[in-house]
Amino acid sequence: MTTDPLAAGGDPRQLLSDVRSLARRVRLDQRMTWVALLVLAAVTLVGIPFDWLGMTVHCHPDTSCEFARHGVLYYWPAALLIAYAVIAVSYVRTARARGLGVRMLPYVIAGAVTTALFTAAWVVAARYLPSHPDALDGNSYWVLVLDRLLSPWSMIGIALLVLARLERNLGLLAFTLAYLAVVLFVLPMNEGWGPAGWGLQARFAVPQYITGAMLLLGAIGFRTAGRRQR
Amino acid sequence: MTAVDPDAGHPATGLDEVVHQRVRLGILTIAHEARRVEFGYLRTHLELTAGNLSKHLGVLEAAGLIEVEKGYEGRRGRTWITLTAAGDTALAEEIARLKQLIVRMESAGGQ
Repeated sequence: MTTDPLAAGGDPRQLLSDVRSLARRVRLDQRMTWVALLVLAAVTLVGIPFDWLGMTVHCHPDTSCEFARHGVLYYWPAALLIAYAVIAVSYVRTARARGLGVRMLPYVIAGAVTTALFTAAWVVAARYLPSHPDALDGNSYWVLVLDRLLSPWSMIGIALLVLARLERNLGLLAFTLAYLAVVLFVLPMNEGWGPAGWGLQARFAVPQYITGAMLLLGAIGFRTAGRRQR
Repeated sequence: MTAVDPDAGHPATGLDEVVHQRVRLGILTIAHEARRVEFGYLRTHLELTAGNLSKHLGVLEAAGLIEVEKGYEGRRGRTWITLTAAGDTALAEEIARLKQLIVRMESAGGQ
């Protein structure tokens, strides 16, 4: 950079290009995307035994079963709030060490709001469904998708959309949209998945392992890409 | 693309000499993106000496476009620079004028 005034002979294109490359440099230096994904992957994988051990299953002679996922309700609200706090502190401390500020409050607010939303939905379901066991019978595909949307695994993705906006990170946006598509439309998060002989706990664990693995792979990918860019 | 108003004056006439300078524009850009930036980060990324950077920061601070906050982290002194609302506006106006200039240059080159 020089200190010459630009009014005389300064090339506006070059100036604008310098401005954009400086802005891009700052954004790259503020990003800790891989840490966010790593923390969320850890929370997802650690949550599997809580769901497994906290699940109550009552099967009837006609082979139908009633189940309640108490573990999800006890583990996830606290785990998500702690995860968002850890992610925010990591971003702020790292940016500060690099000589920069960073805006994390919208992500923390989005995390807290989505956590409250999912918790409220699950508490209502836990109170309503036992007295209305047929409420979900024959419900449409979109009711199942809505049920998946109100799960902690989807709420992680909704909050990640806010983080992608804050970071102006197209890579994270693409990853998050793919993640949400898998969680909402591909993985049977609210039905379980696996061979017929498996118990309900194991069948519910499979989609959670896949979700955790996706987040972990995302963390590794963003870590590798970030190192190359820096 | 920015539209060119034929009734408006040439965009170069509205340029603010405090902002329309390569280093100072760089300082404002970094401070805008980062919300607050440390002196050492600016010195490294703008490739300036400490004295030269201080002079530019002095100009921007005198114009009310930035705020400079000096403090300590442990025994280490650190200087943080924050963009003011006036600085934010000045940066946005400068970028808008640069875009207008480019449009003018391109339309003049095409004739």
